[in-house]
Amino acid sequence: MAEQKKSLLNVHSYTKECIERYDGASPQRTKISEAPPLIRMKLSDAIFDLCRANSLWPLTFGLSCCAIEMMCCGMARFDLARYGAEVFRPSPRQSDLMIVAGTVNRKMAPALVTLYEQMPAPRYVIAMGNCAVAGGPFDVEANYDVVLGVDKLIPVDVYIPGCPPRPEALIEGILQLQEKITGKRFPFPQNKMPEGA
Amino acid sequence: MDINQVKKQWQELSTAVEDVEYAVSGHDYNVCLECDKVRDFATLMLDEGFYLVDLMAVHVTPAIEVVYQFAHFETRCRVLARAFVDDKVEMPTISDIYQGANWHERETRDFHGVVFIGHPYLKPLILPEEDVDLKPLLKAEAKLKDVDAVRRKPPEPAPAPKAKPAPKPEVKPAAVKSQEQS
Amino acid sequence: MSMDVKALEDDRHHRYVLNMGPQHPSTHGVLRVLLELEGEYAMNLLPVLGYGHRCHEKIAEFKPAKSFMPNTARMDYLGALIYNHGFAQLLEKAAGIEVPERVEYIRVITSELNRIQSHLLWYGAYLLDLGAFTPIMYSFDDREHILDILEDVTGSRLTYCYFRVGGVSKDIDEKFVTGTRAFIKRLRSRFPMYEDLVNGNIILQKRLIDVGELTPHICARYGITGPLLRGTGVAYDMRRAEPYSIYSKFDFEIPTGTKGDCMASFMVRFHEMEQSLRIIEQALDGLPEGPIMAAKVPKKLKIPAGDYNSSVEAPRGELSYYLVSDGSDVPYRLKVRTPSYSNLSVIPEMCQGMLLSDVVSAMGALDLVIPEIDR
Repeated sequence: MAEQKKSLLNVHSYTKECIERYDGASPQRTKISEAPPLIRMKLSDAIFDLCRANSLWPLTFGLSCCAIEMMCCGMARFDLARYGAEVFRPSPRQSDLMIVAGTVNRKMAPALVTLYEQMPAPRYVIAMGNCAVAGGPFDVEANYDVVLGVDKLIPVDVYIPGCPPRPEALIEGILQLQEKITGKRFPFPQNKMPEGA
Repeated sequence: MDINQVKKQWQELSTAVEDVEYAVSGHDYNVCLECDKVRDFATLMLDEGFYLVDLMAVHVTPAIEVVYQFAHFETRCRVLARAFVDDKVEMPTISDIYQGANWHERETRDFHGVVFIGHPYLKPLILPEEDVDLKPLLKAEAKLKDVDAVRRKPPEPAPAPKAKPAPKPEVKPAAVKSQEQS
Repeated sequence: MSMDVKALEDDRHHRYVLNMGPQHPSTHGVLRVLLELEGEYAMNLLPVLGYGHRCHEKIAEFKPAKSFMPNTARMDYLGALIYNHGFAQLLEKAAGIEVPERVEYIRVITSELNRIQSHLLWYGAYLLDLGAFTPIMYSFDDREHILDILEDVTGSRLTYCYFRVGGVSKDIDEKFVTGTRAFIKRLRSRFPMYEDLVNGNIILQKRLIDVGELTPHICARYGITGPLLRGTGVAYDMRRAEPYSIYSKFDFEIPTGTKGDCMASFMVRFHEMEQSLRIIEQALDGLPEGPIMAAKVPKKLKIPAGDYNSSVEAPRGELSYYLVSDGSDVPYRLKVRTPSYSNLSVIPEMCQGMLLSDVVSAMGALDLVIPEIDR
């Protein structure tokens, strides 16, 4: 094995460029020129933000165990459709939310960054699970392949810890993202389990 | 499949065939091979109806040991065949006999650096392309052990005053002497 | 017949290479397949692995063997209890620890529930791949009931770390037993619905019958085990062939197919759920009282020098742990032989010359979980 521990960020020169570009910038305003709208009206912004928050379209990006909990979230019991986010799009061009559910390793990292770049703005990222947040159970000395947290590669909006996090935690993450977009949190619909379930 | 007849054929090809206690170690036979007999052994196993369970390497001194595991669909017979790599860390491939070995050998190359001669496509399977030289599972100098240290020790004899302890088996680079059962 | 790599690299005007990338809408995980297509026919396939590699075998060489248990669950998260079982059994055999009988019963009951849960998820996800959006809702609903039962006693929904070396971590109670019995009744009443809704469907039959045929000889050459092998007619199941734990006490059948195509392995998995229910019933009837942990399990579990192998029947096939120990409590080498690894290696041969939609069908019938391939 190579004597010096290989830097786990030394993935791809393109990725390094991306990190420099996004460093210190908020997810909605990056250093790549995203031309600000010619006319900005507070009311229309608020309306658009409300629409975006309530119909986030996630990209199918389940990498490992957390993907199963993400699938459970979209199914009948936990039902992400109530929050408008059930339509998982396979193509990044049609989605605006990337839920990174699982471990990112050095081979996968360029693909992750490419997909992020392909999503049209405004785009949001949820890091779901301990592996995506900070490397999770793989942050050990013996690790030579796992990237310790997806926020080393792309800017993240909401972090959901857990190994794997419960589907309710993912719903809470989406609600917090909605709050981040619109500035307020919607009281309905709430996750009320029917009697005897 | 007549196990006694197959055992005779193994004894012709190998340097040692050992019966192992299944209840403790989970396999039935231990066969030690030289690396040029590996392909004949694999052909024999395929003809007898064994399937390839696993192919992996263990980093010990004096040489990396490649372990093949076979089992049978009809009778319970789990065989571990071992061979040390030669001086150039190479081993003949069995991927034209057992196609499942194709990926196992690529992975062994990734992790231990063992080159399989005759393999059709020995590119990295699990590690990224640029990490061909990483060889993560090779042990550091401090942790590397002798092949003797990882072999099953014969059970200790009763502590009688005149009892002789069991002789320590010697190890040669390309062959392993069969251990004595006490 | 191995993949014709030179053909992939040659310049052929009427063929093109399509990348079924590491991110694709099927729920297999991060598998990348390079397909050389001639029109709609896949002439050559080259799976590219490694997108989910998490260094498990290296991590095993740095931790005491006992504390590797959570990592075993992360390898195949759908069959986590069975992976736990194989590993606990390995260390118990090696260190000579004998487990109480109640522990064996608990392990069998929870492992079989886990197997049913895995098959239900496969069922729904496979049909989703083929384009049927309804059955996955039903199968996930049934699965949630299993997760409720197991969550009370193990503490987790997915990546269980419930078994310990020498026993289990928490005892099962009356609530578990009544809940499991109620679930058995419920699932049995759902099987006719599944048969009606799915199995007789003409579209499913046309997509699965005669697609991806395997023979026992191919399975021997590739090391394919599990429902794929049983679909070719070989009744090889670790629970019968090399009985471990207390499986020899139970009366259950091993469903087999005849043709070895996707439909055969589909029906084998479907019938295996019923057989697992039978095992659970018998185990619940015979559940003895007793301790849930072996008498003396040392804190620092030294494993005598030598090599050890433990094989169990995972939902996808034969799972084998191979441990090489030098006498200390940290393994010298741990190799995990996962079933999906060998199962996936057959697709260049199995899917050669197939239509692209049949390739999707065949890959779903393999029942892959990519993190267990990449470990």
